[in-house]
Amino acid sequence: MIQFERFTLDNGLTVIVHEDTSTPLVALNILYKVGARDEHPEQTGFAHLFEHLMFGGSVNIPSYDEPLQRAGADNNAFTNNDITNYYLTLPAQNLETGFWLESDRMLSLAFTEKSLEVQRNVVVEEFKQRYLNQPYGDVWLLLRPLAYKKHPYQWATIGKEVSHIENAVLDDVKAFFKKWYAPNNAILTIAGNCNLKLAKELCEKWFAGIPKAAVPNRNLPQEPVQTEQRILEVTRDVPSTQVYLAWHCCARTDDDFYATDLLSDVLSRGKSSRLYQKLVKEKKLFTDIGAYMLGDIDKSLFLIEGKLVNGITPEIAEASIYEVIEQVKSDITETELQKVKHKAEASFVFSEMSIGNKALNMAYFEMLGDVSEVNLQVERYNAVTIDDISRIAKEILRPENCSLLRYKSSK
Amino acid sequence: MNLDRNIAPPLLAPEKINIQEPEIQHLAGDIPVILINEGTQDVMKVELVFAAGNISGNIPLIPAATSELLDEGSAQHSSAEIAEALDYYGAYLQTECGNDHASVTLYTLSKFLDQTLPYLTEILMTPTFPEEEIATFKIQGQQKLAVSMEKVDYLARRYFIQALYGNDHPYGHFQEEKDYDLITTSALKNFHESFYLNGLLGIVVSGKFTTPEAQKVISELGKCGFTKSSVQVNLQGLPEGKGRKLVPKKDAVQSAIRIGRRLFNRSHPDYFTFSILNTVLGGYFGSRLMSNIREDKGYTYGIGSGIAPQISDGYFFISTEVGTSVREDAVREIYTEIRKLREELISEEELDLVKKYLYGSFQRSIDGPFSLAERHKTLLINNLNTKHLYLYLETLNKITPDELRQCAHQYLCEVDLFELIIGG
Repeated sequence: MIQFERFTLDNGLTVIVHEDTSTPLVALNILYKVGARDEHPEQTGFAHLFEHLMFGGSVNIPSYDEPLQRAGADNNAFTNNDITNYYLTLPAQNLETGFWLESDRMLSLAFTEKSLEVQRNVVVEEFKQRYLNQPYGDVWLLLRPLAYKKHPYQWATIGKEVSHIENAVLDDVKAFFKKWYAPNNAILTIAGNCNLKLAKELCEKWFAGIPKAAVPNRNLPQEPVQTEQRILEVTRDVPSTQVYLAWHCCARTDDDFYATDLLSDVLSRGKSSRLYQKLVKEKKLFTDIGAYMLGDIDKSLFLIEGKLVNGITPEIAEASIYEVIEQVKSDITETELQKVKHKAEASFVFSEMSIGNKALNMAYFEMLGDVSEVNLQVERYNAVTIDDISRIAKEILRPENCSLLRYKSSK
Repeated sequence: MNLDRNIAPPLLAPEKINIQEPEIQHLAGDIPVILINEGTQDVMKVELVFAAGNISGNIPLIPAATSELLDEGSAQHSSAEIAEALDYYGAYLQTECGNDHASVTLYTLSKFLDQTLPYLTEILMTPTFPEEEIATFKIQGQQKLAVSMEKVDYLARRYFIQALYGNDHPYGHFQEEKDYDLITTSALKNFHESFYLNGLLGIVVSGKFTTPEAQKVISELGKCGFTKSSVQVNLQGLPEGKGRKLVPKKDAVQSAIRIGRRLFNRSHPDYFTFSILNTVLGGYFGSRLMSNIREDKGYTYGIGSGIAPQISDGYFFISTEVGTSVREDAVREIYTEIRKLREELISEEELDLVKKYLYGSFQRSIDGPFSLAERHKTLLINNLNTKHLYLYLETLNKITPDELRQCAHQYLCEVDLFELIIGG
């Protein structure tokens, strides 16, 4: 249970404070409601490139990292298809340094040509390191455009192709900032050794003067309902074959999210799960197999990905997956339901071990609609019934709703 | 109010750090049980550390296979039953095998300790290592190895450490496909008996728990009758570990670079000074390598350096992956940064930054029960105590630019370094 207080500044910045005096540290988390789904189809990878530029100095402060490190703090950031998130942990006595730095880069960046040029190169190397120079590294570059034909989830956060990053110019960067980086499009959470009064004073001092912006209403193209199975086969110089099955499923804010998540747990959470016991241990068709949902804000994907034992064909492997799916539609037991609920509870309790995670969780649920949800998650999972899970399995785990990637070994 | 954003808020000196002394009890045979009870979440982590790492025994892969297969069946329950029971209570069992030690850890909601603890004790006492599970492990392991052999970062680590220790030394021996043929039920059982049942170094219990819960853990693990042992390391006859090596890899769009050398363990008198020097060079985001090779040149997504202390020695490494076309430039810049450490004094301003950064990062590393437990585990396996941590803080406080330059002179001469490049 996280105790918190929430307030909003006149410029629209939402602030949430959780005081924890058992630590000498404070975590700050700033979530901007902008991600790869907000990019232009010809300028993909931009939200993530922009995240890099946020460390290239702001309008009044030439270096972001240097003063932060001198304050004894630590920081990082991530971008996904929905959000861009920045987080830092500071010793409590230097908390104000965090406010100074974060507010200045929310106000405006330095926008230097040098920073853009360097970070373009850095991101291109990141593209190579993580997506091109790794076995199976391009899976998501193939799977997303297979599963999505209209919605911008069809490209990965890193971007569709290297050239989109290489072609970014300073004017694009400035326009992106102006459009999305504003107090009324952000959530600031503070967790740790900081009380509400201090948090309010620091927010007033550093953030209140930042003007709000006219953040555009999102009007993203919706993904049409899929009516027939899509199959993509590629052959690569990799040691063994893998298959990826991606079904369309509900959005994170849908009531069915919890049942869908538990369906993935019944299938693959832990070594006792159905896919692992049946297909890895008993039938020895796969060396590893997993199911999970992405949990995006818009309608999302439910994945099963498996590594085939050498010599097994994708067709046999896929048929075995559908056999397990057929069973799960009708024979989940009460014990199994209780098991996945305990698992969900445990992972939630463990996820709140650090103040950094608490700050992130609060920001995330506030972004979804209401921070109070952070304390209702265990209840939400506990309310799911066997019928709910079976119904979801029947609704989504059908071949006509599936995009299938066969990533075949040339060996 | 007129706010001048050009002026930084004043930085306050860090408060004096107090490291919580844990409660220590003992099992029979003088085996320590360290208890770290704090935090806000009702969870427990019970970790047992054994003298059962890669260095133990004399058959390759057996230490790792024992660790991996420990929870795949006990005298009381099958692999599937153990998995089912632990999953049912939302618990998680983790087995790890490093160079010197192996550990077995139970993560559980405190309220389910009574239900989950028996599974921990039975896999520790009576693992059966069934043929069937060994067969699955072989298929999985060999495939994983084949995939790793396609990853430049894995290859770089493998060839780098092999060069420092030689393929015949347990530290330098990385798994090969044929090693899997040596895995048998009896080999694993023998290893388990010699190095787990008779090789417990200590136990660390952390999280938020009651006294009866702690006593329960102590009494149940006490009944297992473990005996104590320590790790034996032979470092005779190692290769020189110098020179250059280039390993081509077809179609690589990046080259992996590793540069480094063998060094010392945590008890060495120069350990703290070198670790501060390492931070300056490549140990944090603002380090010289990151500033030059990523933030100024854009050659890489990331570059860093680190020290990997082991029980009797350790090694130092610089690690990065860069575009193949800038490989030579990147290597040259790395040596430039090393040379500067040897020849030039670090400015007071930079040293002040590094000190404050390290002080903050030490504070974070003891925040929360699991982080603190990790610290105490490291002290335990190195036969050290909290005095060692206070000594580090004192060294950090007093270190001078001259001491750092001397340290670079002593340990970072180019002729003593080994350089490896994979790909391109």
